[in-house]
Amino acid sequence: MDVTVDHKPERRISPFLRRFLKLKVWFIEHFRVSERQSTLFWAALIGVLGALASECFRKASEIVHYVATGNKLSITTSFANLPWWQRILVPAVGGLLAGLTLWLGNRLIASVRQKTTTDYMEAIVVGSGLISVRASIIKTLSALFSISTGASIGREGPLVQISSLVASLLGRLRKFPIPRRRHLVACGAAAGIASAYNAPIAGSFFVAEIILGTVVVESLGPLILASVVSTFISRAMHGAEPLYPAHSFDLHTRWEVIPLFLIGILAGFLAPAYLRALRFSEKAFSKLNIPVPAKLTLGGAIVGALAIVDPLVCGNGQSLLSSMFHQHWFWDTVLWLLMLKLVATLVTFGSGAVGGVFTPTLVVGAALGVLYGEFILIYFPQLQADPALYGMVGMGAFLAGTTGAPLMAILMVFELSLSYTIVPFLMVGCVVAYYCSSIFETRFMYGESLERKGAAFFNQQLAEVNILDLIRPDPITLPKNATFAEIAETFTQFRFQHIYVVDKDNRLVGAVSLHDVKAFLDRPELEAVVIAADIMNENFPRVTPLQGMGEALHEFAIAQSERLPVVDNLDSQRLIGSISKTDIILHLAGEQSQATAAQKAS
Amino acid sequence: MISRKTVEYLKAAIFLGNLEAENERQAIEKMLDALKGHPQVRDLQMLSEAVFERQQTDPPLLPGGIAFPHARCDMVSDVVMVIATCPKPVPFRDMQVRLAVLIGVPKRAASEYLEIVSFLARHLRNQTILDQVVAAGDLPTFVAAFAGL
Repeated sequence: MDVTVDHKPERRISPFLRRFLKLKVWFIEHFRVSERQSTLFWAALIGVLGALASECFRKASEIVHYVATGNKLSITTSFANLPWWQRILVPAVGGLLAGLTLWLGNRLIASVRQKTTTDYMEAIVVGSGLISVRASIIKTLSALFSISTGASIGREGPLVQISSLVASLLGRLRKFPIPRRRHLVACGAAAGIASAYNAPIAGSFFVAEIILGTVVVESLGPLILASVVSTFISRAMHGAEPLYPAHSFDLHTRWEVIPLFLIGILAGFLAPAYLRALRFSEKAFSKLNIPVPAKLTLGGAIVGALAIVDPLVCGNGQSLLSSMFHQHWFWDTVLWLLMLKLVATLVTFGSGAVGGVFTPTLVVGAALGVLYGEFILIYFPQLQADPALYGMVGMGAFLAGTTGAPLMAILMVFELSLSYTIVPFLMVGCVVAYYCSSIFETRFMYGESLERKGAAFFNQQLAEVNILDLIRPDPITLPKNATFAEIAETFTQFRFQHIYVVDKDNRLVGAVSLHDVKAFLDRPELEAVVIAADIMNENFPRVTPLQGMGEALHEFAIAQSERLPVVDNLDSQRLIGSISKTDIILHLAGEQSQATAAQKAS
Repeated sequence: MISRKTVEYLKAAIFLGNLEAENERQAIEKMLDALKGHPQVRDLQMLSEAVFERQQTDPPLLPGGIAFPHARCDMVSDVVMVIATCPKPVPFRDMQVRLAVLIGVPKRAASEYLEIVSFLARHLRNQTILDQVVAAGDLPTFVAAFAGL
C-alpha cells in the first residue's frame, strides 16, 4: 500500500531570530518585568517625545514672531524696535487670529461628539487619559498666535498641552488601561513643564503636588524620569543654564533674616487678591457681549497700547524677570512695571487667550519681592539688603500662595536660579505664604479649574445617560387590595425597600415601604384588616423615560430608595419598569469597563 | 406590648356606648358625626368620603363582630379614633358587628395605623376581652379592659 505523506512547507526561523526569542524568554523568566517597570520605559519615551514636541512649538513660535515683527530677537526687544502703531497692531492682529482659530475650530469640532477632553489636567484627574487631538491642535494654534505676537501670557501652557497630547496618543496607541493612560499623560505634563523651565524636579512635583495631589514614589518615579529625560533633550538644544541664574547671596547681618521671613506673610496676603483679580477679569470679559475673536483682539490691542508705554509688558515676562534680577532698578520703576504687567496679564487672561499664567505670576511675585527689598534698603540701610534676593524669595512665596503648592514653588525657584543660598529663606517664605494665603483662599490657581472641570465632566457624563437604556421591565408589584399577608410575603421574597402598588390598568398608585411595615411582618392579625392601599405612599417619586438623569437623581434623593418606578408619562402613570442607582453607576463606569474588557481581550 | 403612643390614641378616642344603627352606613355616619368640631379633623366631609370609599374595597372586619372603618388621608392632622359599642349588633356586609373602631390616620402615619390596628386585632381575638370592651359603658372602662396586658 502506498502511503503518501503530505509534506507541508517547513517554516524556517532564522538563527538570529531564534536566539533573540530564546533571549526574550530567558529575560522574561529571570527578570519578571511587570507593568511597574515598563512604565518607566514609556515615561522616558514620553520625556523624549514631549521635549521634541515642545521644541516644535518653540520653533513655530519663533517663525510666527518673525513674520509678525520682522525680526528674530526676543519679544520685548522686537517690540522695542517697532513703531508705536505696530506695537498695537501686532498683538491686536495676533489676538484676532487666535480668536478666529478658536471660534472656527470650535465650530468645526462642535458637530463631533467628543468622548475626550481638551485639558490635560482633566484627562489626568477625572478623564480617561484621552486628550482630543483636534481640540488640542486648535488650542495650540490659538496659543501660538497669541504668544508669538506679544500677549502677556506664558507659553508653558501650550508646551504642557502638546507634551500631554503626545503622551495621551501613545497611551491610546498602546491601548493601555485608563489608570495607566492617565499616569502617562501626567508624565507628559511633567515633561512639558520641565522642558519649559529647564526644571526637572519642579516639573515632576508640579504634576504630583497640584494635579495628582500626592507625592508617593509609585506615581512620582515615572514623572521624575519623564522630566529628567525631557530636560536633557531641552538642554542639548538650548544649554544647561538656568533661566534666571542668581549669584550667591550673603546676609550682611543676621537681623536681615526677619524681613526675609516676612515676605511670606506679604505674599500670602497678596496672592488671594491676585487670584480674585484674575477671576474678576475673566468675568468682566465674559459680560462683554462680543464674539471670541473680538474679545481677543481687544485684549491684544490693550496689551499693545501698554507696550507703547513700555515694551517690557509684552510676552510671558521672562525678559522682565531677567532684567529685574540683574539690573538695579529703583522702586518707582519696579512699581510702574508691576502695574503695567499686572494689567497686561489680567487683560490677556480675561480675554480668553490660550496660554499659561505661571510665568506672569512669577513676574508679579518677583516684582513684589524686589519692591519690598527696595523698601527695606531705604528704611533699614544698615541691613544692606539686596533686592534681587527679596525678588527671588518673593517669586517663590507668591507662587506658593497662588498655586497652593509650596513644595513645587521651592523647587521651581531653586531650579530657576540654581542658587542654594536662597533655599532656606525660600522654604520659609513659601510655607508661610501658603498658610497665610489659605486663610483667605481655598480655591488655588489650578484647583479651581480642576474643580470646575470635574463637575462639568460629571454633568456631561450624566447627561449622556438615557433612562430608557436603564429600565428594567416588569417590576414586582402588588394590587391596591393586596392583603397584608401578600405584602409581607412579597417583602420576604424580594429584597426591595419599596413594592410598587398598581391599579387594574397597571397604573402606579403608590408604593409600600418596608420601613413602614417591617415591625409588623410577623403579625397574622393584620392579614384580614390591612390592604396595600391602607399603607402605601401615593406620592412616591417616579420618573418617565424622557426625563434627564439629573432629575432622576433628584428623585432618588427624595425617595431614599435604591430603585425608582418608571411610568410612561406623568398623565397616564402606566408603570413600565424601574431603574436602579446601581445600574446608573455601572452605566457611568461602562466605558471604563468596556475599555478594560477590550484591553484584557486583546 | 402596647406602645405609649397607642395608649395615648386610645385615651384620646371618642367613645360611643350603645350605638344603635340599622346598617353599616348609618353606624359609620353616627361615628363620623362624633368627630364634628374635633381639633384634629380638618375637613370632616372629605374624611367621611375617604372612609366610605375605603369601605368599598375589602372592608376591614374581624371575626367576633369587630369592624375597623378607617381612612388614611390628610384631612386629619393626627390619628383620631371613635370607638362604638353596639349591644344590638349592626350588620356590616355579612357580619353582625358588636364593636366598631373608626380610625382617621394622616398619610405620614402608616406605622402608627399598623400599630393601633395590630394591637386591637391581636387582643380582641380574646373572647373575654372582647366581651369586656363591648360591655364597657365609658372610655376608661374600655381602656381598662386592656390594662392587664
